[in-house]
Amino acid sequence: MAQAAVTGTEQYNYAVIRKFAVMALVWGVLGMSAGLYAALELAYPLLNMGIAEITFGRLRPVHTTLVIFGFGGSALFATSYYVVQRTCQARLYSDMLATFTFWGWQVAVALGVVSYMLGYTQSKEYAEFEWPIDLLITVVWVAYFWVYVQTLKRRSQPHIYVANWFYMSFILATAILHIFNNISVPVGLFTLKSYSMYSGVQDAMTQWWYGHNAVGFFLTAAFLGMMYYFVPKQAGRPVYSYRLSIVHFWALAFLYMWVGAHHLHWTALPDWTSTLAATFSIMLLLPSWGGMINGIMTLSGAWNKLRTDPIMLFMITSLSFYGMSTFEGPLMSLKSVNALSHYTDWTIGHVHSGALGWVAMISFGSFYHMIPRLYDTKLYSQRLVYVHFFLATIGIVLYITAMWVAGIGQGLLLRAFDDFGSLAYTFIETVSFLHKPYVVRALGGAFFVSGILVMAYNVAMTIRLGKREAAVIEAKLAAKLARA
Amino acid sequence: MTEALQWLGRLENSKIVALLLFFVTFCGILFYVFTGKQRKDRLESYKYIPFADEEKSHGDSSRTDETRKVDEQ
Amino acid sequence: MKFKHESIEINAGLLIALTMVVISIGGLVEIVPLYYINDTVEQVDGVRPYTPLELRGRDIYQREGCYLCHSQMIRPFRDEMLRYGHYSLAAESQYDHPFQWGSKRTGPDLARVGKKYSNEWHVAHLTDPRAVVPESIMPGYPWLMEPLQYADVADRMRALKFTGVPYSETQQEYDANVAKFGQDAADKLNILRAERHLVQQAQAGNYDGDRSRLTEMDALVAYLQMLGTMVDFSKYDEGYFAEFR
Repeated sequence: MAQAAVTGTEQYNYAVIRKFAVMALVWGVLGMSAGLYAALELAYPLLNMGIAEITFGRLRPVHTTLVIFGFGGSALFATSYYVVQRTCQARLYSDMLATFTFWGWQVAVALGVVSYMLGYTQSKEYAEFEWPIDLLITVVWVAYFWVYVQTLKRRSQPHIYVANWFYMSFILATAILHIFNNISVPVGLFTLKSYSMYSGVQDAMTQWWYGHNAVGFFLTAAFLGMMYYFVPKQAGRPVYSYRLSIVHFWALAFLYMWVGAHHLHWTALPDWTSTLAATFSIMLLLPSWGGMINGIMTLSGAWNKLRTDPIMLFMITSLSFYGMSTFEGPLMSLKSVNALSHYTDWTIGHVHSGALGWVAMISFGSFYHMIPRLYDTKLYSQRLVYVHFFLATIGIVLYITAMWVAGIGQGLLLRAFDDFGSLAYTFIETVSFLHKPYVVRALGGAFFVSGILVMAYNVAMTIRLGKREAAVIEAKLAAKLARA
Repeated sequence: MTEALQWLGRLENSKIVALLLFFVTFCGILFYVFTGKQRKDRLESYKYIPFADEEKSHGDSSRTDETRKVDEQ
Repeated sequence: MKFKHESIEINAGLLIALTMVVISIGGLVEIVPLYYINDTVEQVDGVRPYTPLELRGRDIYQREGCYLCHSQMIRPFRDEMLRYGHYSLAAESQYDHPFQWGSKRTGPDLARVGKKYSNEWHVAHLTDPRAVVPESIMPGYPWLMEPLQYADVADRMRALKFTGVPYSETQQEYDANVAKFGQDAADKLNILRAERHLVQQAQAGNYDGDRSRLTEMDALVAYLQMLGTMVDFSKYDEGYFAEFR
């Protein structure tokens, strides 16, 4: 056992993965708490407190950046480094470069959120980083790409496992999106302020091409990579159909890039573009569900695991939410539905059923699988995983139902007419209507945050356990050596 | 030749041509992937790659045994 | 040679190249034509780049993240036209670097908020929204009463000029602006006299209700009061704009 532990850490670079995993949880706790506070601000505006740095307009990008890039990004670095090493049976290329990607990424996220609070933002959603941080991210990303490819090249057998295709497409797509969406002209070399190179319609189209594919590749393709490795590993059985994964991969990679314009239905964007986007959004349902089926059916014949294994519960629930939100997405991209849903909280609910239900849940499941292995120990408490699971699930359900009520309700109120053909409600009347759903949403958020706090505790204790065990083994070894 | 290119350049034509092209490619992939017994066995054999890396370095021995069973099947 | 999917699976370079091809097509097809199809943006009179004061106001609008709760894009629906006014044209945001169409209306659309309320109302509302609209959930922005920094406004205009906004530096560019936007507007788009025009506009407009100070509030209210007022819709047939949709 002791021997094996030594070879395990020598064979693979686990140090950088541990760092990313811990930071993912740190950012996750901070980012979700920021989200909870922002949600409370909408329910109780007094909480803005007249402090510029924490008003909703500045806190919202802090929340999205922390959860997407801080939590999601670090989770992806961690799992991709883990998966690429384990499926290639090769050590990660260049410890130094890998460590650089860690520090570079953490610094970028930290600088980003501080700069938003100080009022520096490009004001493009999910691309709010100002230009110097964008440059840093570009450098980190090139290093990430290089580490990944070089590790692939070291693989001990000819095949590249499907999980790596997904991670690779995520790295490539994110690079393209990041570079083209962030082309901007700085006001001066020593200022943070810049102006986007594009304007109006073109800028809107570029932004939502970026925005939707940040969802498609950062928050979907990459997490599918996670799914293709961790679900089979946790289930102890191979993925349902490798052939389905081939079709799934190419179809998803091809279709996603077309659908961004469905964020711009009924705007000044030319009609043909949004029609095209709506059409492709419908088609996208197929590969999405292909992926979901592939993941869930991996468990076919071993469904009893759901009763005994809370980690499996996380994974299968995440896939169910993935299926649900990839059905809701195409529905909302229909122009007639979008006319009602756009600009309302329905969109916010949809995003969170994907982000909490799919992205966060699959990451939690994968982390519960991976972290004990990184520290060569067992999970501190299975029971706390159950607690986390139920807190998270209740939180999500509260969140999305509140947002359905808020979004559909407000959408209907805004388009209601009285008997004389004039508007039945003023805008502010619909805002009053939103109060109760906003309170319920914040409650759902509170459940979800307490869930990740439970996880953070469980993981911290697991790490402590692992370190204590390692110390005991080392002491025994030293004693043995001393005797000899 | 130039006439054909001009015909293709008109949006109403290139739309349908592109659609056909994509659809045929998609069907081609489907056909390739899901036909042939030999191909099936070959392609499906790769799904065991994650299990090629036996977890000898980890404490969770029950899981490893289970994995081996699946591998042998 | 017989094709095998394995050829891709065992060759990282090929996998990368093919993935790049597959993910590039969608974006190319949808984005590139927007730069070349000339009917993306309508030909209308009146839309001009922002004056130095409005530009600083717009910067503050971005800084505070207003776009996260307020859209600037009216859709062609009966309820929206009744509530906000004529639907937005692509031409109206042609000088917006970046665009501020928004994606969520926690507050109402602002694309045509200009001239709908008085300056005093805006100042009171921005300082303490619930003093004016009791049910409002908007944060207050009392710090907007701080002095406006505008020393670098010329640099900001130069950066925008680099992106293609027709601010003028040479006599030739100035003359072109006079021909296109009229003498009055062209003066304000002159980078060399940006600071002077900024102060002049703030003085003349008296946006924050106090001529002795030049505050961020002056700039933001100047920006808001301009929104959606540039195009005179009485000059056009409805059918004209429909052609571009």
